[in-house]
Amino acid sequence: MEGSVVVIGGGIAGIQTSLDLTELGFKVYLVERNPSIGGRMAQLDKTFPTNDCSLCILAPKMVEVFRNPNIELMTYHEVKKVEGKPGDFTVTVLKKPRYIDETKCKGCGDCAAKCPKIEVPNVFDMNLGKRKSIYIPFPQAVPPIYVIDPEICLKLTKGVCGVCEKVCQAEAIDYEQKPQEIKLTVGAIVAATGFDMPAEELTSRWGYQYENVVSALEYERILCASGPFDGRVLRPSDQEEPEKIAFIQCAGSRDLHENIPYCSSVCCMYTAKEAIITKEHSENSNCYVFRHDIRAYGKNFYEFTQRAQKDYGVQYFQTKVSTVVEDHETKDLMIHYEDLKTGKFNDFHANLVVLATPLVPSKGTEELAQVLGVEVDKYHFFKEKSFFNKCLSSKDGMFLCGFCQGPKDIPETVADASGVASQVANLLNSVKYTEIKEKVFEVPEMEVKITDEPRIGVLVCHCGINIGKYVDVSGVVEYVEKLPYVVHCEANLYSCSPDSQARIKEVIQEKNLNRFIVASCTPRTHEALFQETCQEAGLNKYLFEMVNIRDQCSWVHMGDNEGATAKAKDLIRMAVAKARLLKPLTEASLDITPTALIIGGGVTGMTAALNIANQGFKAYKVEKEDKLGGNLNNLNVLYPIQEDAAILLNVIQDKVKKHKNIEIFLKSQIKDVKGFIGNYNVSIAMNKKSQGLKIGTIIVATGAQELKPNGDFQYNKKNKNIITQLELEQKLKEKDKSWLDNIKRVTTILCVDARQKEGITYCSNVCCGVSIKNVSILKELRPDLEIVVLYRDIQMAKKEFEEYYRERRKDAIFLRYDLDQIPTISKKGGKSEKYDIKVFDTNLQDEIEFETDLIILSTPMIPADNLDELAKMLKVPLDKNGFFLEAHVKLRPLDFATDGIFLAGCAQWPKNIQDSISQANGAAGRASRFLSAKTIKTSGLIAEVNPERCIGCGKCESVCPYNAIEIKEASMEFEDVSLVLKKSFINSALCKGCGTCAATCPNGAISVKHYDFDQIFAMIETYLLD
Amino acid sequence: MSKAKKKAKQKEEWTPELLVFCCNWCSYAGADLAGVSRFQYPPNMRIIRVMCSGRVDPTFVLKALKDGADGVLITGCHIGDCHYISGNEYTRDRFKKLHEIIIKQLGIDGKRVRLEWVSASEGKRFADLITEFTNQIKELGPLKVF
Repeated sequence: MEGSVVVIGGGIAGIQTSLDLTELGFKVYLVERNPSIGGRMAQLDKTFPTNDCSLCILAPKMVEVFRNPNIELMTYHEVKKVEGKPGDFTVTVLKKPRYIDETKCKGCGDCAAKCPKIEVPNVFDMNLGKRKSIYIPFPQAVPPIYVIDPEICLKLTKGVCGVCEKVCQAEAIDYEQKPQEIKLTVGAIVAATGFDMPAEELTSRWGYQYENVVSALEYERILCASGPFDGRVLRPSDQEEPEKIAFIQCAGSRDLHENIPYCSSVCCMYTAKEAIITKEHSENSNCYVFRHDIRAYGKNFYEFTQRAQKDYGVQYFQTKVSTVVEDHETKDLMIHYEDLKTGKFNDFHANLVVLATPLVPSKGTEELAQVLGVEVDKYHFFKEKSFFNKCLSSKDGMFLCGFCQGPKDIPETVADASGVASQVANLLNSVKYTEIKEKVFEVPEMEVKITDEPRIGVLVCHCGINIGKYVDVSGVVEYVEKLPYVVHCEANLYSCSPDSQARIKEVIQEKNLNRFIVASCTPRTHEALFQETCQEAGLNKYLFEMVNIRDQCSWVHMGDNEGATAKAKDLIRMAVAKARLLKPLTEASLDITPTALIIGGGVTGMTAALNIANQGFKAYKVEKEDKLGGNLNNLNVLYPIQEDAAILLNVIQDKVKKHKNIEIFLKSQIKDVKGFIGNYNVSIAMNKKSQGLKIGTIIVATGAQELKPNGDFQYNKKNKNIITQLELEQKLKEKDKSWLDNIKRVTTILCVDARQKEGITYCSNVCCGVSIKNVSILKELRPDLEIVVLYRDIQMAKKEFEEYYRERRKDAIFLRYDLDQIPTISKKGGKSEKYDIKVFDTNLQDEIEFETDLIILSTPMIPADNLDELAKMLKVPLDKNGFFLEAHVKLRPLDFATDGIFLAGCAQWPKNIQDSISQANGAAGRASRFLSAKTIKTSGLIAEVNPERCIGCGKCESVCPYNAIEIKEASMEFEDVSLVLKKSFINSALCKGCGTCAATCPNGAISVKHYDFDQIFAMIETYLLD
Repeated sequence: MSKAKKKAKQKEEWTPELLVFCCNWCSYAGADLAGVSRFQYPPNMRIIRVMCSGRVDPTFVLKALKDGADGVLITGCHIGDCHYISGNEYTRDRFKKLHEIIIKQLGIDGKRVRLEWVSASEGKRFADLITEFTNQIKELGPLKVF
């Protein structure tokens, strides 16, 4: 067995899987066929529903991958051959020639600036921008290494030019590079190859052939501040600001003619997002959305689409679009459509059209499937082994993550990624930590006392000519040499090259330096490298300081060498002033109790417990009911596989009950939680007894429940045949079906008390699916039964569900109603249960009245009872709907802000069993990272309290987002007396060093290490006074 | 401001001295992107990097004004984007109070101290912001209060 994994695809799916795998103790080879990682997420402007800047949240993860010693980043590589079996695969990878020596390229860009070849469309900008033949895909690319396009490079195609070789001072150009085969031996393989959006494959009726019709991904680049138009909303034909922008939904998706029968799942949301951003960027624009169903089923999604309409004036039309035609003169577009609310055919005149075109498996998925020997499904996505574990491929030891298995959004992908990592850990549990290398520093750390006189060394980088051309580097060196405490200063060509690292170590040791400064590029990418070099020389890494004289001087003041040079001098002087006051910091190590507590015994809690237990850790399960299974106990048949729910329940329950590492507490509740990550003391109450447990991490899987619509839609005790969907489910479970005998017509009403203007405003995701399933089950039981479904929008996103719905549409009459005119029910006289329903069908634009014998109300899922208490005990937040609130809706869907506590399943948001299981495995993965590591290291960059100044007011405690601060009583000694006073205490295991507490403290009692008051004051002072 | 420096300054043409606080995750990255994209702006400002705009203590701003800064700009992630969940919200609330003190109690023009949000992809916006801020301070002239 090998303790390493190949991850194929460097988008957010591959990035998150890789990061989690290394934390679980595995070496990762991250293979990406493009020159940079980042994938589709790097191309997005913002992310829904928070409108977070996409790159702001992704770039730190990309850099983390780049810096991780246990991830071998293989960009511009492709997997060619796979042999072997689970635990022992041999993977042959082809390294494509970049014609650049990766070890030498510094990413400075001198080559591209001089490259004469006519520019070609930039793929990263969806061909809207231009690039040279030597290029970097986008400015934040990881690795920051250039690549030559052999198709257009004059040297490689015609043997002339060679300018890049001449200008590259790092001597990184290598026209002789050849493709190279590399063999890797690994234990598991993860495919995370994502999606494409090939708008050009659509039939011509959508109008993509016209200049001012763009795909949504192209529009994403148009909106992006770093995109081809600098974030100005312009149309491609004339670069004028469009006034009327039309967004067409389902442009090819859910469409048998386009051969895309499924729903791409994310378009409704990104369209609302793009429309909102458009309004923000361009006040005069008007946005029109030509929608089909609105499928906005995630957390705060539906509300987001409503906000787009209410707050941003985006107009939604319920339509079917037939054609988009261009006006040849103005290049405007005419959309010919059917208004589904009036039944009339209309024309709409737009200046720009954005198509929500289908998302399909990325090009090459089928070839890769052949190489891996795994199956693809009928939609050409990788096929999952079972519906309930979408991360397993058809072949053991090979896993699937993200969009390559089927449409899903970013948080679902991230949950998948953590789930894949944990399932790899289950497979390769015996070889965890066998291939991981921990950096060992051979030179022992030298002691640096605060009283020692600072001896500062400074390295000023030329960065080829990137700095040197605009900043007088030798003048700067001369100036810096004379600054107080600077013992040594020198310039060099490339500070980041290996020979420079050797030189830094040499200087530190020769000159006995106790502080070091590099003035070069950005600390965001290079600080960790130099810190490591300092550590190798025996210098504590917090005694290093970095100055950015490239991005802040030479590159932004190119016409003003004097100004750039003066600024560089000031910035370095400020760094020297700070460096004088730098203190060596320690990173404490805390032990982790190797146990997990899982709160909730439903399918989510059981899956998480099994996953953790299989990794050899003790899992305690607490369930308030007297049996395991949660909501699964109430279900009859599971869709879309139409299998008895009891089968899944029994299989998983059996495993849980038999597992030696799992201890189950039924009819139990959490009474008290004390402590923090790795060291919780939890007390459990059961049958008047209580038990204490020592816990390392906690997973919250408390599930959700069905809303009972008391009073609404005549749901009351008198009306026996008005029941909820879950009540129907239970009836269908019964062997005796005689209750169906006298029933001729059944009516299902969807969105009962859901997606309202007030109260429950959200869509709870699963009700449509459950309703349609029960329609088909009723129809099977009684083929003569008439079934009517009253709906608003049908939520059947994801690859399987659209077809499931289409096949069953014939089983019922579907009537569409509007929130403004909800159906009314009145009971008929007489003994039998019969009701009259009146509904205004928006498709027919007519009121329909009919009689029915049974009414099924589909109500939303609401949070489990009494979550407030639990949330308080765990010190974790609930959202406005009462579900638990994760740390970040996009990239940390399973974490709480407080380290050590995780969430999964319907506790986070209503979801189906497939997604609950994915999240359960994901949360287990997130939790077991800490359990596997056995210890955690705290950062040196944390806050500290000066108890002398602390007045115990507690303001810091209230602002800390990580629950890292606690006000406790402490005994303070004053000359003769000792008093017990309230003081603030910071838990170094939880503090992230943001410093909000320090700035909030009214008495200056809290400081943040490495950014303390003295250090920042010294910088301000030297800038303005010296 | 030291006397010697003030004197020297009076001789030459006056240029403003501006201090900019950037948070590590968004606005500093935005400044980096301005650099990578070669967006030009005036060289009169110096950046101090902090991990979060929430770290910017009001005393940092007051100290800078006292020591002779003609303008101070605090930048952070857009609301909702904060790497530390809610740090920038506290910055915003705290800034409101600080701004009031600066205007009402110190009698300093409120335009000299600003709070702005800049994301990691807003390199252009960062450059434009610095240009605009510099021009604004140039119009206001040197700060003479202390």
